[in-house]
Amino acid sequence: MRYRYVRRKVVLFVITLWAALTLNFLLPRLMPGSPVDAALGKLAAAGVTITNAERTAIEMQLGVPHGSLITQYWQYLTGIAHFNFGVSYSFPNETVAQAIGSAAPWTLVLVGSTTIFAFIIGTLLGVYAGWRRGKAADSVITVGATFFAGFPPFWLGLLALYWLSFKLGWFPIKGGYSPGVTPSLSLSFLADAFDHSILPALALAITSLSGWVFGMRNNMINTLGEDYVTFAEANGLRTRTVALLYAARNALLPNVTAFGLSLGAVVGGAVLVEGVFGYPGLGNLLYIAVSNHDYPLMQALFLVITVSMLVAIFIVDLLYVRLDPRVGQ
Amino acid sequence: MTIVTAAPPPESPGAGVEVRGGPASEAIPTSLLFLGRALRTLWSNRKARVGLCIIGFDILIAICAPLIAPHSPTATTFTPYSGPTATNWLGTTGNGQDVFSQMIYGSRITLMVGLAAGALATLVAVTMGLVAGYRPGPVDEVLSFITNLALVIPGLPLMIILAAYLQGRSIWTIVLVVAFTSWATGARVIRSQATTLRSREYVTAAVFSGERLFRIVFREILPNMTSLVAASFFGAATAAILAEASLEFLGLGNPSTVSWGTILYFAQQQNALLTGQWVLVFAPGLAIALLAVSFTLVNFGVDALSNPRLREKS
Amino acid sequence: MEDFNPLQAAELGGTRLIYEPLEIPSTISGVYTPFLATGYAFTDPTTLVYTIRQSVKWSDGKPFSAADVVFTFNLLKKYPAFDSTGIWSAITAVSASGKDVTFTLKSPDVPFADTIAQVPIVPEHLWASISDPVAYTNDHPVGTGPFTLGQFAPTQYTLKKNPSYWGAATIVPSEVVFPAQSTNQSTNQLEVVAGDYDWSYNYLPDVKQTYVAKDPTHNTYWFPPGGVIGLYLNLTKAPYNDVNFRMGLSEALDRTTIAAKAVNGYMQPASMTGLVLPNLEKWLDPSIPNTGLISQDRSSALADFTKAGYTQQGASLVGPGGVQASMTIVVPVSFSDWLAAGTEVSTELGAIGIKVTLDTPQYAQYSSEIQGGTFDAAIGGYGGTGSPYTDFDQALSSAFAAPVNTPTVNNFERFKDPAADQALAALAAATSPSVQMQATAQLESIMYSQVPVVLMYYGGSWGLFSTKHFTGWPSASDPYTLPTPYNNALLTVITHLKSAP
Repeated sequence: MRYRYVRRKVVLFVITLWAALTLNFLLPRLMPGSPVDAALGKLAAAGVTITNAERTAIEMQLGVPHGSLITQYWQYLTGIAHFNFGVSYSFPNETVAQAIGSAAPWTLVLVGSTTIFAFIIGTLLGVYAGWRRGKAADSVITVGATFFAGFPPFWLGLLALYWLSFKLGWFPIKGGYSPGVTPSLSLSFLADAFDHSILPALALAITSLSGWVFGMRNNMINTLGEDYVTFAEANGLRTRTVALLYAARNALLPNVTAFGLSLGAVVGGAVLVEGVFGYPGLGNLLYIAVSNHDYPLMQALFLVITVSMLVAIFIVDLLYVRLDPRVGQ
Repeated sequence: MTIVTAAPPPESPGAGVEVRGGPASEAIPTSLLFLGRALRTLWSNRKARVGLCIIGFDILIAICAPLIAPHSPTATTFTPYSGPTATNWLGTTGNGQDVFSQMIYGSRITLMVGLAAGALATLVAVTMGLVAGYRPGPVDEVLSFITNLALVIPGLPLMIILAAYLQGRSIWTIVLVVAFTSWATGARVIRSQATTLRSREYVTAAVFSGERLFRIVFREILPNMTSLVAASFFGAATAAILAEASLEFLGLGNPSTVSWGTILYFAQQQNALLTGQWVLVFAPGLAIALLAVSFTLVNFGVDALSNPRLREKS
Repeated sequence: MEDFNPLQAAELGGTRLIYEPLEIPSTISGVYTPFLATGYAFTDPTTLVYTIRQSVKWSDGKPFSAADVVFTFNLLKKYPAFDSTGIWSAITAVSASGKDVTFTLKSPDVPFADTIAQVPIVPEHLWASISDPVAYTNDHPVGTGPFTLGQFAPTQYTLKKNPSYWGAATIVPSEVVFPAQSTNQSTNQLEVVAGDYDWSYNYLPDVKQTYVAKDPTHNTYWFPPGGVIGLYLNLTKAPYNDVNFRMGLSEALDRTTIAAKAVNGYMQPASMTGLVLPNLEKWLDPSIPNTGLISQDRSSALADFTKAGYTQQGASLVGPGGVQASMTIVVPVSFSDWLAAGTEVSTELGAIGIKVTLDTPQYAQYSSEIQGGTFDAAIGGYGGTGSPYTDFDQALSSAFAAPVNTPTVNNFERFKDPAADQALAALAAATSPSVQMQATAQLESIMYSQVPVVLMYYGGSWGLFSTKHFTGWPSASDPYTLPTPYNNALLTVITHLKSAP
């Protein structure tokens, strides 16, 4: 039975991957305007006078895709198989893989640690709120979390940027690290990078805390009502032990599923926050790609985000089998 | 995107609603009764009451905007970049428009997008979820597959692309884009509930008595999911309000309409932070946050409705 | 991305301090500053001879010669991707003899010297062996210019003074630092104000408060006109193909208010002659009334509309068939000043009875609509090259007026007038100032009377300077170039700087 469950999941994973790849290919192409127009727009905005000769030169330099949609689709699929995503229009001379490669660590660290942080703190708060249901602590936690959940993260970012960076000068205004510094693993660089990441991380973490709190609180309450918990309690186990050992462990299961889903979506959520702070991550890159109609970069970014999400969900699905013996029977 | 809905995740063991099924003939009065009880339960929940009050207040402002607003939201007749004064309570934009009046009128668009996108997303979610849940086999497989696909495609990036493609000629573009990207969670929850309900005795009974599929789904199954539908509506509406703000802020909306999102957009474009007019950023953001929070608060009440274990003793 | 290939469109801005062109014409007055050439002459209208500067060395110590110039131009011929200014569509040959480099033009085209003069020259002894120069990123640039590459980091690079530069004695800065700009304009503006920049280029709202007041003794700004912002009309569509209708639109607009709304009142209403004033004042035809400024005049606008078949009925302007005049103005959404101008234009045209819709797509879509000629009306930029010929040519030449759905970058309003083409040809061939003046006056009068574009206000060039360390920045009292750090003006300005007292 378990084997069939896993096989089913694998098949589903592969089909979903293919569908996502295809959708990913089609979506950017549905947009009006061509990359050349966007590139010319960038030049025009910078004050360069555009001539027809300039247009031709840019078309040649950018290597705008020609040929039928089928040909392009085939090139796209074979390209992916070879990890070859082409050259980015918005970063000429840089391959898409390079552009993503240099941005990914920033997002991974910023958003990944923010999410893990929000997950842990949020889940703990949720456990506590669920356990103390109806008490003052529960109200403070849930009302506080509800309130923060409504804040657009970029808005929190803007306000923090204004007061803490611009007015008080406590934090740098933009970027992932000080200009003129070459990224390395030295202590001074890491300290510098940490300094730059505090505000964007804060804006993201505060607003994403709530999902975990609610999820966990509700699961806790449901689990606390289950027979086996009542049974454990009746058997004279201390309530704290019951809450943590039985209820929390079982209530965590649905939250683990949500964790997989959110980890992939998190890059999307960071688009605006990274944009506000000019943070050199994938979110910022995606916005640049979209505004430049940069097909190769957009495709690759969507691919990276979608595939990481699919993989995360797939792993969680498999983990689920281990964590909850009832699944797949 | 943050998970803003307070609805329990699909796998949550206690997500089942109170099933008050009965013979088919009693379906309508039962559901009406249920609705009345639902509203009363909502109102009895303290959080939901606060939420309903905020929403009601916003709706009131939106309806009475021409009466409340001291000036036209688009008239560019004031001194630009002015801080709060007696005539312009929240200052003016770089174009010399009155921000307070813009805030008043802006509630219209933001509310409309939130409610319309929420409703549209819920409609899609209910249709997909019900059909998939009631029709096991190939239909369920295909619809679940589409739902799962929509669930894994990252929301905001997809919205950005779609919005750029449809290019905000009107706010309906945003409504469509937001609805298109935020129905999947609801559909999944409703599907799993429909799957459970399908095997209940009274549904089986209805099938054997020769009722048609449409009737069974909408008369027998749907009324027992009112709270789930409501939860997915309020969840989608919250997401829609935040998504509208994000898209407008990125300049992907229609900047010639006045909404809280476009006030933020122009505050950023005209760099209100540089001119020290932080109120221009603060006010619309706070209004958006309050409205989003109020939808979430109402959802608390809906949760309590669907799950008596969450019901408050107040 | 480390890219110092001067022939690419995407090179880093500092490349212009490493490689020099022959000469740089001022973007304000068109006056030449010599660099690798010491002078030029048209021996006849199709033969252009540059005299090359002697005893110049590349930064690796090798001597520079006329052969390097010929090599560079031949590189553009071999790799058309490099020829972004269309050199080889206008010349047929380039050759060197001693100190002279001679260009043979296809047809008489005196203004084309501007384009030839500005091509950056690369060293033959290094570039001849590069197999794919188009993709070459040149991370160890060797040029003749006043600076060489110092430190490079992804978010900032530094150029240091080239001690062997031919004009090294007059170069004051020892180092030029280029921090990367963020894609978020607002964040950049905050940083400009909070940071310690000698020169930056940024539109700032309320500049006296937001910038000058931060350091009143040193912070200055100069916002000269760098072009014209106009309402482009699609001349292939009715009623915009009727000059009376266009004239009516022009007279219905209050340009002072539009400029005030769009650019905070930093800029003045534009002359309808098509000249950027006061930059090109010396070309102004004195017979054109009031330097070509048109002020709002409702009754005369209505009279023009009547001639075009449109009369005011109640609050609307009604045309043939009893239909109200309507127009969609397309504006790229990210250009907030154009958007503000578009909003004001729709208010003002609405007041005279035209139903105006603002369409605000992303730049790419805007660009394909105007280039393809499918638009009604559009807010767009005009001129600003510093050369009256180039400005007029791009707006009026029928050579650019492609059929609808065939994209064209210039003259997208699709204006066609044999008289304009003749005047342009005459101006292109003219070597004597009086003939140039006459042809320019003719073009001014075409712009003024036929209204191919409803010019509205000058587009600004937003120079922010600190005199803490250096003086000699371009200013209203010394307007030697536009304060634009992204084109050849960078080289002109840096070579003009003096130490602050």
